[in-house]
Amino acid sequence: MDKFLRDKKAIVVFVAPAFLLFTFVLFVPICQSVYYSFCEYNALTAPKFIGFENYKQLFTIDRTMKIALKNSMFFLIFSVVTQLVAGLVLAGLLTNIKKGRDFFKNVYYLPCVLSSAALGLLWMFVFTPKLGINQVLAQFGIEGPLWLMDTKGFIILPMWVIASVALWQYVGQSMMLYMAQISGISSSLYEASYIDGCTRVQSFRYITLPLIRPMVATAMSLNAIGALKFFDLIFNMTEGGPNHMTDVLATHLYQQGFKYFKYGYASAIGTVLLVLCLIVTFIINKFVKVDNYEM
Amino acid sequence: MKKRMLSVLISTAMIASVLAGCGGGGDTSAPAPAADEGASQDTAAAETETQAPAAGGDVEEITWMFWDDLNATEDLISIGYRDTVERFNKDYEGKYHVNVVTTNLEEYYAKLNALVAAGETPDCFIVSPGPNLDVYVDPGIAADLTDYLKADGWIDTFNGGEGAFSQQTYDGKIYAVPLNIAAACVFYNTEMFEAAGISTMPTDWQGLLDACEKLQAAGYTPLTISAGTAWCLSMLAGYLCDSEGVDLAAIDSGSASWLDSNVVNATNKLVEISKYFQPTAAGDTNDVATANFYNEEAAMLIQGSWAIAQINGSNPDFESKCGVFAFPGTDGRVIAKSDSLAMSAKTTHPDAVIAFMKYFTDDTAQKYTAEVGGKIPVTTVEYDASKAPAQLAYVMDVFGSAKSTFGFYNESMATTEAGAFFDDTMVSIYLGTPVEEGLASLEDFYKNNVWNK
Amino acid sequence: MNKAGKGKWKVSTTIIYILLSVLAVVYLLPLLWVIYVSLKDDKTLFVSPWAMPEHLMFENYSFAWTAGRLGVATLNSAIVCGVTLILCLLVGSMAAFAIGRLKWKLSGAMMTYFLTGMMIPVHCILIPVFTRFSRMHLTNSLTGLILPYLTLSLPITIFIMTGFFQSLPNELFESACIDGCSIYRSFTHIALPLSRTGLFVTGLMTFVANWNELLLAMVFISEDSKKTLPVSLSKFVGPYNTNYSQMFAAIVIAIIPTIIVYCMFSNQIVDGLTAGAVKG
Repeated sequence: MDKFLRDKKAIVVFVAPAFLLFTFVLFVPICQSVYYSFCEYNALTAPKFIGFENYKQLFTIDRTMKIALKNSMFFLIFSVVTQLVAGLVLAGLLTNIKKGRDFFKNVYYLPCVLSSAALGLLWMFVFTPKLGINQVLAQFGIEGPLWLMDTKGFIILPMWVIASVALWQYVGQSMMLYMAQISGISSSLYEASYIDGCTRVQSFRYITLPLIRPMVATAMSLNAIGALKFFDLIFNMTEGGPNHMTDVLATHLYQQGFKYFKYGYASAIGTVLLVLCLIVTFIINKFVKVDNYEM
Repeated sequence: MKKRMLSVLISTAMIASVLAGCGGGGDTSAPAPAADEGASQDTAAAETETQAPAAGGDVEEITWMFWDDLNATEDLISIGYRDTVERFNKDYEGKYHVNVVTTNLEEYYAKLNALVAAGETPDCFIVSPGPNLDVYVDPGIAADLTDYLKADGWIDTFNGGEGAFSQQTYDGKIYAVPLNIAAACVFYNTEMFEAAGISTMPTDWQGLLDACEKLQAAGYTPLTISAGTAWCLSMLAGYLCDSEGVDLAAIDSGSASWLDSNVVNATNKLVEISKYFQPTAAGDTNDVATANFYNEEAAMLIQGSWAIAQINGSNPDFESKCGVFAFPGTDGRVIAKSDSLAMSAKTTHPDAVIAFMKYFTDDTAQKYTAEVGGKIPVTTVEYDASKAPAQLAYVMDVFGSAKSTFGFYNESMATTEAGAFFDDTMVSIYLGTPVEEGLASLEDFYKNNVWNK
Repeated sequence: MNKAGKGKWKVSTTIIYILLSVLAVVYLLPLLWVIYVSLKDDKTLFVSPWAMPEHLMFENYSFAWTAGRLGVATLNSAIVCGVTLILCLLVGSMAAFAIGRLKWKLSGAMMTYFLTGMMIPVHCILIPVFTRFSRMHLTNSLTGLILPYLTLSLPITIFIMTGFFQSLPNELFESACIDGCSIYRSFTHIALPLSRTGLFVTGLMTFVANWNELLLAMVFISEDSKKTLPVSLSKFVGPYNTNYSQMFAAIVIAIIPTIIVYCMFSNQIVDGLTAGAVKG
């Protein structure tokens, strides 16, 4: 048996395709990308090594980079927190009802499977002052704000709007992960707690929450990376405008790389993004993740 | 044994990756997974069948790259181009055939440069004169067309002969062929102007403000504009800068600054007139702003003459009420924009490309440009003015009496990014950024990206 | 659980239902609104965006379908996603089988290697992959999309499938070994069939993610006949004006297949996700 499972040839055969693909399409390009980030490189010329110039420009001169970093951080914190809270609340509520549970669950999960490009166009339209929600508000005599163009405040209104749309679209994912974990908790634990006089809220606090903590870590890392990578909705709702106020790292990278062809500079933004993703995953796994409880 | 197998596997991958990493041109990483090669070739094969059937034999195939989808478009100029392509393919059937590669305008230059970088420059491509064209002329990507133009009197069909090519000429050589001209004008609602008691069109800045004031007093929204689509607002800013005597070339070379008093004055004017915009201007896109005008919710629209087709197409009743005047106070200077065609310097079918280009400037195409498209033709073609939209005649008047023309501001700067930065700065000033702060950021951008190069 | 408790339960349940229903409206209304806009024409859209259309413009759909070449786009999306799906399940579960079932020293390291892939944003590899592929003439081809899609789908596939394979009882493989079954055969005939749920879930996740992918498709494909659905939506944005109602018709066409598939399989998806999540 042992020999059967230690078949070297089989191991190589099984792993090789995935390994090679991974190396060539992901690992090598990442190394290249890091290298390009030290180069002056545009679409029509060959890369030329310039050391830390791109990074220097990125962190000292580039005004948009500051905004993009701020927005990405806001996005990260907003989506991790709200997805956690809203996802848990929804999961908690849904596990407490029987009738229509599947219906609600399916409805909330639906936007997750739809194209965010299409949904971005839809929401852009909804927030166009002349055509969308402001016209409805006007019926009630309310003058709606400029949802996607207001630039006042530290975190501007459009960022809140986009972040809320993202929450709307993706909260189903977190909800589903939490529900899955909750459904794995033995009901005898709850029964015991009720006998001890626990309310439903208390049992949620003292039984459900600790037991789904490993899933919280997983869901949080997924949300955090998702938030840092966030592109489609912003691209279709504001394209980073007005005046780059809604740019995040990904849209800034796209503009620098594919609108102005500064491949080297865009690679530097990509490297920053990559480092951020690694740090965030590391932090979450370090501080949130715990070993699985026996259930 | 196990170790050996793995080390072989890993080292192969590593060696390959090292090679791939540093070997710029060599495609050492080509031995990509063989497993899916087969499958994907099947799909590729299935794919080619859906393409336009290529005629057999020695047909010369050329590609043309364009910035609007020719089938899904409602833009009349694009539809005219589609007809031109069809005419060309039909007339030259069996000899030449053009395939069209389209993107939308947003991604156009990204796509074009990607193809250039991949060594697949389209044989013929559309381009705006200015920094966009510079990009292809300087490294020799666009071909010199002078000889083709002069060989058989093609150049003489153009209105003004060689003068028609001023924006496409570099060191006396012509690198692109203009197809049509659009001029940016002020469109106005004649009924509203009458109702507000304005009988003479404003000819200077104060006149424009007075007209706005009268319109507002009469209960109309004086001006509709889009700040959601940055270049629309920037077009107005461009006019204001030019009327204050801002010299873009001087700024590009560093002998003038964005903090000079003329730029500050122009920007202050923008802020001043912005109180006459429709209340939703900040969020309205170009479509919405134009719709405000033809749906008679605002009295004036500052737009390029391409908007004529959109206005008349969406509200045919409006044609008779729509007047045009030149933007006041510019000393007879008008913003003009032309679509131009360039040829790849590496094309193997120059004759086919030239034949194709000539179809865009022949009488049929140029007549269409004027009569249907609402843009100014580039050749001396005779067209039926009664068929052309009423506004075209007014635009022609404006254009004809213009002392000189200048390009769109965002297309006349050192780089496309600088142009976009200008647009964005103007939008942010309109949205409330103090003038000095906005212009200082533009100045900073030039310091870091233009003047030090 | 006395009577009083039950009474309280009912009130809270009503509140819960009201909350959930309000939320459901927030979810469904925008989607219904897309359909509504897609049946108007551009002219009335600008004049009275919320008024009922005078006559329903079903021709928006036929226009969107033919002019946007959505048929070709749907086919392309289906080919790309289908091929990716099959390859991803095959390649991914092979690797997962080796990591989860077979015994070798570096299996843990290999798992970590694959899992880092989950943390890597696609933007980081966009430029190198793009320049390389364009030199290899892989841009503008569906193969050029399948390769990165496949690679980017592998980590999650391997992650979930490893969990499934590890949860299979040892005895199965022992008896297979005793019966003289080869390791390859035990993979195809024991491991794979028993992990159908996992395959289903990962397959669906892969398919959905790739079906909706915009960035790579937008950068890689310029030829009209190779565009995928999400890219085709932007065709209705012209240089100076946008055909909103037809664009919305295109959006409806683009999302309807996903909605149909989702409605058909929603319960399996949910169950599978549950199984996958708990095991993973």
